[in-house]
Amino acid sequence: MRILYRFIIVYSLCVALQAQSSVDTSSSEPLQNDAPIVPDAGSRIMPSTNPDISAIGDFRTSYGNQGPRNIEIYFNALEVQLSSVVDPYAEAKFLFSFGKDSLNGDYSAGLEIATLTSLSLPNSVQATLGKFKPHFTKVNQLHPHALSFIEFPVMIKNYFGDEGLFMEGLSMSFLIPNSWDIYQEVVVDIGRSATTPALDYGSGNRLLTTAQLNTFLDLSDNSTLGIGISGLSGVNVLERYTKMTGLDLTYKWKPVQFNTYHSFTWQTEAVMCRTDTSAGSYVRSFGAYSLFEYQIEKRIFLGTRFDYAGLPMSETMDERRVTVLLRLQPTEFQVFALEFQHANRNYATSVYQVMFRAIFGIGTHAAHAY
Amino acid sequence: MKKYVSLLLLLFAPLCTHAQLKIVTTIPDLKSIAEYIGGDRVNVFSIATGYQNPHFVDPKPSYILKLSKADIFITVGLDLETGWVPALLNSARNQRIQKGGDGYVDASTNIPLLQIPTSVNRGEGDIHIYGNPHYWLDPLNGKIIAQTIAATLSRLDPGHQVQFRANLKIFTEKIDAKIKEWEGKLTRFKNTKVIAYHNEWPYFEHRFGLTIVDFLEPKPGIPPTASQLTKIISIMKSEQISIIINSPYFMSESADLVARNTGGKVVTLATSVGATETIKSYFDLFDYNVDQILTAIQ
Repeated sequence: MRILYRFIIVYSLCVALQAQSSVDTSSSEPLQNDAPIVPDAGSRIMPSTNPDISAIGDFRTSYGNQGPRNIEIYFNALEVQLSSVVDPYAEAKFLFSFGKDSLNGDYSAGLEIATLTSLSLPNSVQATLGKFKPHFTKVNQLHPHALSFIEFPVMIKNYFGDEGLFMEGLSMSFLIPNSWDIYQEVVVDIGRSATTPALDYGSGNRLLTTAQLNTFLDLSDNSTLGIGISGLSGVNVLERYTKMTGLDLTYKWKPVQFNTYHSFTWQTEAVMCRTDTSAGSYVRSFGAYSLFEYQIEKRIFLGTRFDYAGLPMSETMDERRVTVLLRLQPTEFQVFALEFQHANRNYATSVYQVMFRAIFGIGTHAAHAY
Repeated sequence: MKKYVSLLLLLFAPLCTHAQLKIVTTIPDLKSIAEYIGGDRVNVFSIATGYQNPHFVDPKPSYILKLSKADIFITVGLDLETGWVPALLNSARNQRIQKGGDGYVDASTNIPLLQIPTSVNRGEGDIHIYGNPHYWLDPLNGKIIAQTIAATLSRLDPGHQVQFRANLKIFTEKIDAKIKEWEGKLTRFKNTKVIAYHNEWPYFEHRFGLTIVDFLEPKPGIPPTASQLTKIISIMKSEQISIIINSPYFMSESADLVARNTGGKVVTLATSVGATETIKSYFDLFDYNVDQILTAIQ
């Protein structure tokens, strides 16, 4: 790949040099550094209390080998985010989504995130209240535009839907002091779940509770390991409990000196689910995925993901999926992804699918968590 | 009972009197200056290394741990670290070092800035709206940074104000002495034209009299393109430029390609303390860069 890349550069250079030789160099473009150098200590600050505002578009096309309508071209969603520090004690974030309904094609607006997060509670405690993505599994924390692959892993889709799990309530996190100077965080969320295949908003007072323990290790300057254990308890559509356990493992390698050129990520997660269906009876199911992603050049990423997931209400139905990804990032504000997927479901025919996604953002969007 | 209280006081008294201020800086240059001013009164940790691009640092959770315990946080500011510092500070759970807090230090305070844009558009690449943020590469700005740090240390640890003032005086005098030496070495080569990879040298250029004619990046933050490299080759040939300045965290393929086509030399200058093993302090940084340029020109 590197050889191909070099060849393209050298070839383009030769062509451009040839073209340049016939051009009058005296009429070359103005130099980049033509801006006047203005030493100035006083006039640089532009005070503003406006929040950071960003808009992110998500356009998709796909071709699948099944169904009467197997070519899709659509604008999937627009996300608008506002975020700012509220006062010395807290920050707030609001995320609105204008998404396309995959069944009727209409767009509808929805509130995805609305949070108030403390900045100054004592004893390394941080509290968040509002609507947010609960701390169960690592990948559920992400929004679709921040995913490495085009779609969430199958286990998230099967248990929590296409966008992952949301809840309204309170979240408390705490940094665990330890003598090894290792980052360890406990997060507990309590509130009401959105309605998903595994969980229901509920009509009674039974709430959704989650707990997560995150441990993070710097293996070297260039590599890190994150380990997470999480648990969840909530009410399902049968007004009985669904209990889930999650485990995540993330290894990242990024050479500090050339961290914008090369990187490697291996991430694996698994969830175990027990859905109570009636007094004394329950359904057990399981989901997992493992992904590998390698950055081969500054703008090019290659990845693959292996998925397995059951369904919350079935012990026999499951899906296996293999995904291969090519991602191109001209800048951090534009991402183009091309995926090939093969899904094998034991309750339906196999599906081959090719998908393309373009993500493009404007404005100021806060950095995502590591 | 009194005996036990006295014993406890004796045990903890040394800890109280010798407790160092914990400082976290974003780049090692600020760490070096903070150590000169704070001396044995401070314990300083830098998040970025000297050979790392300070625009793109991964906000690892282990940095959150450091920040959660910090008394002082020193940032370059001017949006240089906008991609990673807000994420770390918001998770640090430490009010002291939040923007506006007693321990939050923006090292760009009072710095005379260069290249403040009159209009901002992402079509122009990674433009810094407050001005070029690589100001620590002018040693005279190092003196201003040192004053800002000394003022903060004196405010938070007034009992050692005299020590901080004395250290500031020593640092300032050393800068004044060294700058004569550095300028003296480069004076013969004033207005030497050079090409740079990224627009991060205006303060160095301004201080030492080099003239940066153009950049390998077509726009700040946009990797070199074939047409830009062609243009640079043409400029280097027509203006007889023989030096291309690279930085430790940019791969040298593009610079090497241009050098091969023009007979020029690629000089990798240090952008920060720690860029090489020999650069252990803020003074070493300029010693190294001045020597590298001298060697390349001669």
